[in-house]
Amino acid sequence: MLILEAIIDGVRDIKDHFGRTLLQLLGIILGAGSIVATFSLSVAGKEASMKFYRVSGGVERIWIGNRTPNNITQDAKALASKGLTYADALALREQGKELDLVSPVSQGGMTVRYGAIEKKRDVMGVTPAYSPISFFKVEHGRFITDTDLQNASRVVVLGTTRAAEFFGSDNPIGKTIFIDGAGYLVVGVMEEKWFSFDQRRNALRWMNRQMYMPITTMMTRRGEPLETGKISFMHARMKDVKRHKEAVDEIKSILRRQHGTNDFEVFSRVANLARNESEGKMYDVTFMICGMISLLVGGIVIMNIQLASFNERVREIGTRKAVGATPAQIFFQMLTESVLVSVFGGFIGIFVGKLFTDAIATLTRNPAAITPGTAMNALIFAAGTGLIFGMYPAIRASRLNPIEALRTE
Amino acid sequence: MSAVFKFEHWRESKPETTIAAAPAKALIQLERIRKTYDSGENAVEALRGIDLQIDRGVFGAIIGPSGSGKSTLMHILGCLDTPSEGRYWLDGEDVATLSGKALARIRNQKLGFVFQTFNLLPRATIWKNVELPLLYAGIDADERRERALKALDRVGLANRAKHRPNELSGGQRQRVAIARALVNNPSLILADEPTGNLDQKTGSDIIRLFEEVAAGGQTIILVTHDPGIARRTQRRIKIVDGLIVDGEDEE
Repeated sequence: MLILEAIIDGVRDIKDHFGRTLLQLLGIILGAGSIVATFSLSVAGKEASMKFYRVSGGVERIWIGNRTPNNITQDAKALASKGLTYADALALREQGKELDLVSPVSQGGMTVRYGAIEKKRDVMGVTPAYSPISFFKVEHGRFITDTDLQNASRVVVLGTTRAAEFFGSDNPIGKTIFIDGAGYLVVGVMEEKWFSFDQRRNALRWMNRQMYMPITTMMTRRGEPLETGKISFMHARMKDVKRHKEAVDEIKSILRRQHGTNDFEVFSRVANLARNESEGKMYDVTFMICGMISLLVGGIVIMNIQLASFNERVREIGTRKAVGATPAQIFFQMLTESVLVSVFGGFIGIFVGKLFTDAIATLTRNPAAITPGTAMNALIFAAGTGLIFGMYPAIRASRLNPIEALRTE
Repeated sequence: MSAVFKFEHWRESKPETTIAAAPAKALIQLERIRKTYDSGENAVEALRGIDLQIDRGVFGAIIGPSGSGKSTLMHILGCLDTPSEGRYWLDGEDVATLSGKALARIRNQKLGFVFQTFNLLPRATIWKNVELPLLYAGIDADERRERALKALDRVGLANRAKHRPNELSGGQRQRVAIARALVNNPSLILADEPTGNLDQKTGSDIIRLFEEVAAGGQTIILVTHDPGIARRTQRRIKIVDGLIVDGEDEE
């Protein structure tokens, strides 16, 4: 019997027994729907993650900081080291061939006062490179410039949260704000940064809370000479993402030469991304297992219903055998029906899966997207389930004794 | 009536003859057929030593009371079952020891069945029903449709080819079954109580259809408990208690 014949017969048989088919379908639809939903959510999760990286500073960014002194095996040089300094930043800028921007940051808690409002706040001493490296621009006025840096000018740029905190709805630009007793001219206000995974909390609100002054000003105020002035951390930007390993290695070797020891840490965002990906894969596997369990249940449903219907059709199978159907032909026919129902259910399941996905996305405020790959997966799994779980009933049918079958009421 | 009928006496055959090959002219040759059903310690011997020879073109009946073994004999003749002992040549082929798959092939090529309960596929058209044996024979779709239509025409139902069995009367359904039995040009047609579910008149019409088909040279064996039906055939094979009795047949 040709495959086409089997399929046509199978379709007709499904139409004839639509009630029974519907029950079978239910199992597969839910199974396939689960797979679609879980895969879509994981894909969307990855996309959201990528978007976050782009919005919050791009993947080309490298963070360089002091190694925390928890290491038991630190050597004497490391113990005596003073950590990262401004000189290190200059060294990286001069010698780093893989890097195109270096942005040292010196952070400190200071007393900020304007009018009646006085608060203790973190202030960051930065260079002009901070803005491009962080994908963070001024909305009003200007950022710190090289001139500010050279002159160690007393200027300050505010994040939107800080601007609102001290100035309310007034324009802060041109006004003087007092930091640790000294007056600073407000020259700029940053744009408002927003990114949310769940449409509620702003994952980037910490950026809006910052205040920036020239790093040279910060060190002068602290009484530190520039070359040996301590910095809290550095950002560097690599020229080519594909060479992220080389960039990190270069930074490490330059700093090792500067310090004579490994008292620093270098974090590449790209490496972070890779680690997130492998975590993401773990979630994927979990989701996939859930989806497959659903499909397993669907398969068991199919098998049970095939068995039940098989009992109804014993007489018919007996007749087919009497006119000369071989066990193999009966087996093939029953299995084809089973696979057909599953594939049909798989198709419907994809649509149901879309409904699931949308519902879950709305409830958890997570993004979700269905790809053709996911749909294909669901279909293949559905067909496979029909194949495997249809086997047992098909084998039983093929082994029926025609005489007993024909005697059945 | 073009067929030539041979008169054969049949009796318990002697052991020495079992090694001989089947005579070429007989369509059916059964030798020392036994069938035992094992149900624990109560083994039931349904057939206790049957010898039977049936030539081509015979229109015959196997008649016996219920429990006589006539159904078992029909199952063996129809290659639906194999004997516990003995030999069976069908159309020159030794079929007593064939596998399930091989028996299926024989049924498909050489046998046609008509059942008391018609056994048509309820949700297919009668056209598709008649095609069924050809489907399993691997015949392509066009030839199948053509041959099935011809078979329906022979039983007078070609004009209702696209109807379903539930739209037909009992007699018409049995005609469809007969068409299905004819469609693969079988060597032998077996009919098990073909009028059992029909009223007197319809039953008689069906037997007349069998007579017409037999007149064309088709070998047909009916299995029945009704002597009235048996009387309309050319040869009666009487079975009682697993053995054939009464070797006489009348034309």
